[in-house]
Amino acid sequence: MNESNMNIQPAGAIAIPVNKYPYYIENPVTENRVERFLEAFATVLQYSDYKSLLDSYCSSNTKCNRCAVACPIFLVTGDPKDIPCYRTNIILDIYRRYFTIGGAIKARFTNGFELTEEVIDDILNIFYRCTACRRCTNECPLGIDHGMITRLARYVLSLIGIVPKALQVSVREQLEGETHNTSKIPKVALINTLEFLSEELNDMLGVQMEFPVDKKNRDYVFFCAVSDYLLEPETLMGNAAVLYAAGDWDKWTIGTQNYDGINYGLFYSDWHLENIIKQLVGEVTRLEGKNILIGECGHASRSAHDFVPVFAGKDKYPVINFMEYTLQCIKEGKIKLDNNIVTERVTYHDPCNIARSGWIVNQPRQILKSFVKDFVEMTPTGKENYCCGGGGGLVSIDEIHEFRMSIGGKIKAEQLRQTGAEICIAPCANCKKQLKELIEYYDISCKVMGLHDLILKAIEIPGAKSPQERKEEAALMEI
Amino acid sequence: MEQWIEFAKGPLFAFTFLIMVLGLIKLVIIQIYTISAGKGRNIRNTNWKKIVIDTLSWVIPVRHLIPGTRIFSIVSFLCHIGIILVPLFLADHIALWEGFFKLDLPQIGYALADFLTLFTIACLFILLGFRIFSSRLRAMSKKMDYLLLINILIPFIAGYLASHPGINPLSWNTVMLIHLLSAELLFVLIPFTKLAHIVLFIFDRISGIHWQLRPGAGDRVAEALYGKEAKV
Repeated sequence: MNESNMNIQPAGAIAIPVNKYPYYIENPVTENRVERFLEAFATVLQYSDYKSLLDSYCSSNTKCNRCAVACPIFLVTGDPKDIPCYRTNIILDIYRRYFTIGGAIKARFTNGFELTEEVIDDILNIFYRCTACRRCTNECPLGIDHGMITRLARYVLSLIGIVPKALQVSVREQLEGETHNTSKIPKVALINTLEFLSEELNDMLGVQMEFPVDKKNRDYVFFCAVSDYLLEPETLMGNAAVLYAAGDWDKWTIGTQNYDGINYGLFYSDWHLENIIKQLVGEVTRLEGKNILIGECGHASRSAHDFVPVFAGKDKYPVINFMEYTLQCIKEGKIKLDNNIVTERVTYHDPCNIARSGWIVNQPRQILKSFVKDFVEMTPTGKENYCCGGGGGLVSIDEIHEFRMSIGGKIKAEQLRQTGAEICIAPCANCKKQLKELIEYYDISCKVMGLHDLILKAIEIPGAKSPQERKEEAALMEI
Repeated sequence: MEQWIEFAKGPLFAFTFLIMVLGLIKLVIIQIYTISAGKGRNIRNTNWKKIVIDTLSWVIPVRHLIPGTRIFSIVSFLCHIGIILVPLFLADHIALWEGFFKLDLPQIGYALADFLTLFTIACLFILLGFRIFSSRLRAMSKKMDYLLLINILIPFIAGYLASHPGINPLSWNTVMLIHLLSAELLFVLIPFTKLAHIVLFIFDRISGIHWQLRPGAGDRVAEALYGKEAKV
């Protein structure tokens, strides 16, 4: 990480040696960071409910250290600063010292903890080494949510302007920009992409399907990670193929006012988390939709699933991950998958946000086992699976690529290699990007793809080309 | 000295025990308030089954013996057995519970109590050793983490010496007074230190599952810091 450290200063500012940022920041904060951090923390405590939780954690945190051996970052670095409990205790120390009566009294009589510029440097560094995978929370006997503490720390940092530029710029475009999406894809480009995907599907399947856009009163309003429209078209085509084959083509729509499921607020800001959710809900309301259908994206699914009920009302709109929808279609016999198409060995990577922190573990496995003959699990797997190393928004921060590869994703790469799989299914835009970079970095012979990319190969559609025909055509095109 | 012991067994015991009970009740009330409907959340939808299963699975953490912490976890678990059983069910303590609270608890035999006490002392020394010699634990530990372990050790050692005059280098009165005062210091410390996990270990898990963000809080924080026109 040291090689990527940099001291970025605005023009004319006086360089302060202790202000080292391991990632790009738009306007690096150089003065009064301690005072500003405490002011922001106090304001968060005043208007939020963190106080009760922090009180509880302060009283019960036994520092047993079990979380250390669960953390994929600490297991690689061995640096005590990467122990989840160590990180959490910095925030608890600040809370105790500056926001509790006991801490204030103690500070009068002892030379206890004090927030300094150096501690701020530690915070801004180590909380962005955490991938917020929450594997540590699973191993905490007391159930302390270290991932939540990571978000809290990042939230307070963001309120004083310390936030990776990559995340901030994306959120700004999503909330305040013209396109309302993180990749700044304008509506006209979306429409063009959808037309292109329609043509691709027509060529591939031999059926005519035009993507439904801004259709009102549909059962499902679809959101994926907007980057999928440009980078993962096969996942989207797989999604479309399932909807078409299931006979639900006239039951879904894509909105043009907001078509991005990404919510970086989940990684660093309660403020943005809520407003992005409201924006998403606003689009469903505009279209008079009934359900929110989220594509293959871990954090988009979790943020919508967990926070639409909180910020928009408990029964406002049910949130469904696309894999749940597909499994339901299989169970109801609405779609069929040819189990002679995929002959390669396939493994499955559990995105942390939908597996460990969510509700999707068995569903994709049930789908895969229904048509993949050689399916192999990673070790460990399911809720115990390791993070790809790019979680918590780290995958979007290009300047920490070396950290993500050599430290964050090292265990995942080894896990992947040990399966001997030729295909790794990763139903998450962030995980896919990180895993693709990992297999290149570690020279692993494996292809990373979404679940619906694979489904697209094997799905049987009445009146369309058979999966076998499509496979032969694809083989010819490769030649 | 005997008057001191009587004082420690009588009013001081009652006072310190009361502090512990009231302190823990306060923590429990705060926890219940936090997770209650009064804070805008519906506790009826809580997945109690998951919470109970999770909590029980940690009470006997057989499923959680992961490489790297196995010895620590086993020793820690075994240590808790003695820490809970001996103070509650030792025959001499039963008399105390009966005298103060009219509680008629079953008692464990002296031989078992001796075994559990020595076992607990050994476990506590091992845990102390971990905290001193493991770089991971040392990095996170503060003075209080060591002092609390020592504070738990003292009443066990002093109690054992008091009941075994043959190996006691001090007078019975001295070790008994040390036993009483160190145990009473623990009573006082329990609600104000990490020892509060004796009740909070249930609530942290409930809070973790049940805790939610407060709607509108983000906007209010941004407005308070940067005004109504706060920008990303």
